Amino acid sequence: MTAARQNLIKVENLTYQYNGEQPVLKNISLEIDRGECLAVIGQNGSGKTTLVKHFNGLLKPSSGHVYINGLETGPLKVSTLARTVGYVFQNPDHQIFHDTVGKEVAFGLKNLRLPTEEIEHRVTDALEAVGLTGHYLTYPFNLSKGQRQRVALASVLAMHTEVIVLDEPTTGQDYRESAQIMDMVKKLHEQGHTIIFITHDMSLVARYADRTVVLCEGQILADGPVRTVFARPELLAKSYLSPPQITLLAQGLGKHAIPPDVISVREMYDLLLKARADKIGCCC
Amino acid sequence: MAVLEIKNFTFSYPQALRPALNDINLSVEKGEFIGITGPTGAGKTTLACCLNGIIPHFQGGEATGRIFLHGLSIFNKSTAQISRLVGSVFQDPEAQIISSEVEQELAFGLENLGFPPGEMEKRISEALELTGISDLRYRSTIALSGGQKQRVAIACALAMRPEILLLDEPTSELDPVGTEEVFQILGRLNREQGITVLVIEQKTEQLAAHAGRILVVNEGALVMDGEPWQVFARQKELQAIGVRIPQVTRLAGMLGGSDKYSLPLTVEQARIYIERLVRS
Repeated sequence: MTAARQNLIKVENLTYQYNGEQPVLKNISLEIDRGECLAVIGQNGSGKTTLVKHFNGLLKPSSGHVYINGLETGPLKVSTLARTVGYVFQNPDHQIFHDTVGKEVAFGLKNLRLPTEEIEHRVTDALEAVGLTGHYLTYPFNLSKGQRQRVALASVLAMHTEVIVLDEPTTGQDYRESAQIMDMVKKLHEQGHTIIFITHDMSLVARYADRTVVLCEGQILADGPVRTVFARPELLAKSYLSPPQITLLAQGLGKHAIPPDVISVREMYDLLLKARADKIGCCC
Repeated sequence: MAVLEIKNFTFSYPQALRPALNDINLSVEKGEFIGITGPTGAGKTTLACCLNGIIPHFQGGEATGRIFLHGLSIFNKSTAQISRLVGSVFQDPEAQIISSEVEQELAFGLENLGFPPGEMEKRISEALELTGISDLRYRSTIALSGGQKQRVAIACALAMRPEILLLDEPTSELDPVGTEEVFQILGRLNREQGITVLVIEQKTEQLAAHAGRILVVNEGALVMDGEPWQVFARQKELQAIGVRIPQVTRLAGMLGGSDKYSLPLTVEQARIYIERLVRS
């Protein structure tokens, strides 16, 4: 029997409800391959966090199936899945509980019963990757929220998991901190990690994700390359989202031959310069 | 007379090596809509705490200089007096909402100030109406969406009929629609009720569209103060400080825009500007 190439994550007809209430996720099917960088977007309460919590077994389907590397999550423990899927919570303070940054980052590794030397090595690397070298002995709550978010990220990085899930990693961060965190995420993606992140910031989706899944009232409203999804503002509006400013601008300039799927300022700038050059060319 | 005036104000937290706010000077007229932005740790929240009396009444530290509300020094006012003038709304509505029902939540501050029931009723209805949430009056606060919760928090502040509404990153937990909802409400309160709005916000696209004046705080100092286009014209400096420039304004800057007429602040303004540019 030849095994078909497995999806890294496969979601089949997933429905989830909290304690007999209205389902939060309704019959969701989704496949995520190795090496993807996927943004999950949708309004508050659309089911984004509920969906991604299924990827590391924090939640189990009420009906339907979720497979990670071909294994169904139903019977698996979170601690087993944690070796494949790392999860960074939206609020780092829900995650951090040790009295030093070093211990916090080492916690998961100790649970894996890795040798002390290996743990030290990984903690040092992870702190360096998030720009917190020198904070090994710092009390986490003396750090800024942005820094605590990076401690949480370091804890997950140190686990060397194949998949990293980040639930609104930039909420409450300023512009520079957001860029720092996302640049780090980008680097992880380039190193081969599969990345899944939730965000409300459409400019981050445009800049960092290859693919986006739009959730609306527990269902998938759209799933595709970021450009393709952002080119359909009427669809996004159904989930109370709107594309980034620059994409909206492009969509208002359709009659000037600007395509509706522009997603960066630089791209728009180049298009306008070209439009201008073409025009000058034609007039001469 | 300025509704709020800050003169040579410097504040240091206990045991801090350098001041959290350094020689701040600011004068706010009644009816202004002011956006305050800057990187985290710049002193924005400290500034807000100085304006609603949390500093110095509840927090130690050392302050020099003066802050006047309606010409009277804030240091001589009790927090109860200040709360009638300055209504505060914080980042996380969860941290602010304490009652299980929306109506009770609005009644809480009024009860504390000892208003008679008839007056309370009037103010609660008015505040709910102004924030567009009259239909939520008897709802459980737990079942509300993030945007609704933040509107409840704004309604609570409004029930006190403050002169100034002070909001500290009120939309950071909200989706784009919830964010726009909050700014629409603020804009309406400002235009129709004449309420002075001071809002700390990272989302500069909203500030550019709604505020009449923007302050940039960095490392404890007020480093920029002007109309949105004046502030967003200083693109290199803003990038160095770490303040996001609205995408359409950044584009205009790259195209050489440098004044009120060539630095659009909203998508619609940018569309008109670009169309003119393409045609010329």
